Amino acid sequence: MRAVTGAYLLYLAAPIMLLFVGSFGASWTGTLLPSGFTTKWYIEVFTDPSFQRAFKTSLIVVLCTCVLNTLIGLPLAYAINTAARSGVKVAARIVSLLPIAVPELVLAFGFILVFSSDTLPFLGTTWLLVLAHVVLTLPYLLNVLLADMASLGLDDLERVAATLGASFRSRFLDIVLPGLQHSLLTGLITVAAISIGEFQLSNLVAGFLSRTYPVVLLQAFYGATGFACAATVILLVLAILAAAAGAFTARAAQTG
Amino acid sequence: MPILFEAVSFAYPGTQTGVRAIDLAVGDGELVALIGPSGSGKSTCLKLLAGFYRPDHGRINVDGHDVDTLSPERRRLGIVFQHYALFPHMSTRDNVAYPLKVRGVTRAERRRAADEMLDRVGLSDLGDRAPKTLSGGQQQRVALARALVFKPRALLLDEPLSALDAGLRVAMRDEIRRVQREAGIATIHVTHDQEEALSIADRVAIMSDGAIVQIGKPDEVYDRPRTRFVARFVGQANFWPGMVGEENQVETPIGRLRHTQEGVRPGDKVLVLVRPERLDLFFEDHKTPPPNYFKGHVTQDRFLGSIRRFDFAVAGNLIRVETRNRAAPSAVAIPPDAVRLLPPDDNENKKGELS
Repeated sequence: MRAVTGAYLLYLAAPIMLLFVGSFGASWTGTLLPSGFTTKWYIEVFTDPSFQRAFKTSLIVVLCTCVLNTLIGLPLAYAINTAARSGVKVAARIVSLLPIAVPELVLAFGFILVFSSDTLPFLGTTWLLVLAHVVLTLPYLLNVLLADMASLGLDDLERVAATLGASFRSRFLDIVLPGLQHSLLTGLITVAAISIGEFQLSNLVAGFLSRTYPVVLLQAFYGATGFACAATVILLVLAILAAAAGAFTARAAQTG
Repeated sequence: MPILFEAVSFAYPGTQTGVRAIDLAVGDGELVALIGPSGSGKSTCLKLLAGFYRPDHGRINVDGHDVDTLSPERRRLGIVFQHYALFPHMSTRDNVAYPLKVRGVTRAERRRAADEMLDRVGLSDLGDRAPKTLSGGQQQRVALARALVFKPRALLLDEPLSALDAGLRVAMRDEIRRVQREAGIATIHVTHDQEEALSIADRVAIMSDGAIVQIGKPDEVYDRPRTRFVARFVGQANFWPGMVGEENQVETPIGRLRHTQEGVRPGDKVLVLVRPERLDLFFEDHKTPPPNYFKGHVTQDRFLGSIRRFDFAVAGNLIRVETRNRAAPSAVAIPPDAVRLLPPDDNENKKGELS
């Protein structure tokens, strides 16, 4: 058992370790490990204008996705949870889970069809990219929130708060939001992680000047190995940063 | 009248279940227990009163005001839920102070009021603790304090003790009664535990199938139940089908019984009820047997600790008996005033049975 676990962990970690090593290697062609030590790949990535732009785009997209998810997901989850009829709940759940079930490629083609028309010519804008990410990530946040609402017994807490004289506003601010703060946080971290690494949909929907980091990263693999490794390591760091940003947004959302 | 139901009917949307023609009045400081099997509508009555549902027909008055158009937060009723529903992210004190906070009471004042209320339920040291670090009984007290701190018009208890273990339940029901008396507040207590209801209520209302079938003082519903259902629900009982004879006699499958009940005529079909603890036991032959004296033998013997419950075979029928006596009797007698005559069952072919 221990051997299997160890092997699995090695299998998981090895590519990441290799990426890390490769990003500092001076030359890496045909051998198992690169030779020499250099930081030039990082400098190259950082000074590359298209990477700079992609980096910025990704951060904006992640941040906006988190904010929109909070603004849409929280009331939506609340509405689904308090919907009186169970039929409404089931329907809402199915609709909200669809984006997970439908292949991203299908979603992307749908987006292209709708938004390349003359009436809705938004293909290639950053806003459309954010919207696509929201569609993609909202179900994950919803699931986390709904599960937490059920385990908290939020219905009962709200009912009791109502009998104690709390208005809807008080109940939402005093009971619902504080009760959900942890699940909102974890949900947003998931959202940020998905958004930052998302490739399929972004690759098809993003305009040339609003490409996200993973989309630009693909180009790097046609060039020097060290450069590609450095760019990938940055994506890794970016993903971690995104998680932190998600946490930060959550905290800001509940205090504000 | 603090609480008044007038011909209240309600059915859950799309179903037949709900309550029918509920008339119920709870006076100042009175504690009325609503009991009945699950699905009998007792919790529904509470939800209608609390304002989670609106009656289809009839009216509900609180303190003389029609509340049917008021939302739950405007009814000023203190409710303790089955699972307490304490706010997990607030301290015990903040939980108790919450009803005052939403009413705009100043921080210092609501802290003082909450501490005073915690003191009244015996938890003055635990104000700073998180609810989940408290025991079940303590959480129960916090919920009670929170429901009373804003001086509500009435107190509603929805099976508040069902989540506690047996020993604690007995202590807590005395506690609830004490706090309720001190507050002098009209209270409806919903429970499916008949002992709990009989022991703390001023009056008990027994519900079945969405309607109140009998309401009265605890000893009244126990000693003079109106139907088999009520008799069975509030305690153990012997039932036999009977036919009223001459001179305060009634014919039953175990023999002819003398009774003291008035208002029955010879020839009436009745259901005979005898509570098992009312029987007298005899351990040797009696020279001048008392009325309703039966010889027989013990068939099944169940030792329950404080009492013994055994079946006594008489002429092919069984009498259920409860006693604290450890020996096996050779005869039993039913005091005539322990024989109650109820309306007969609709189902004619029901033989005498134990329940």
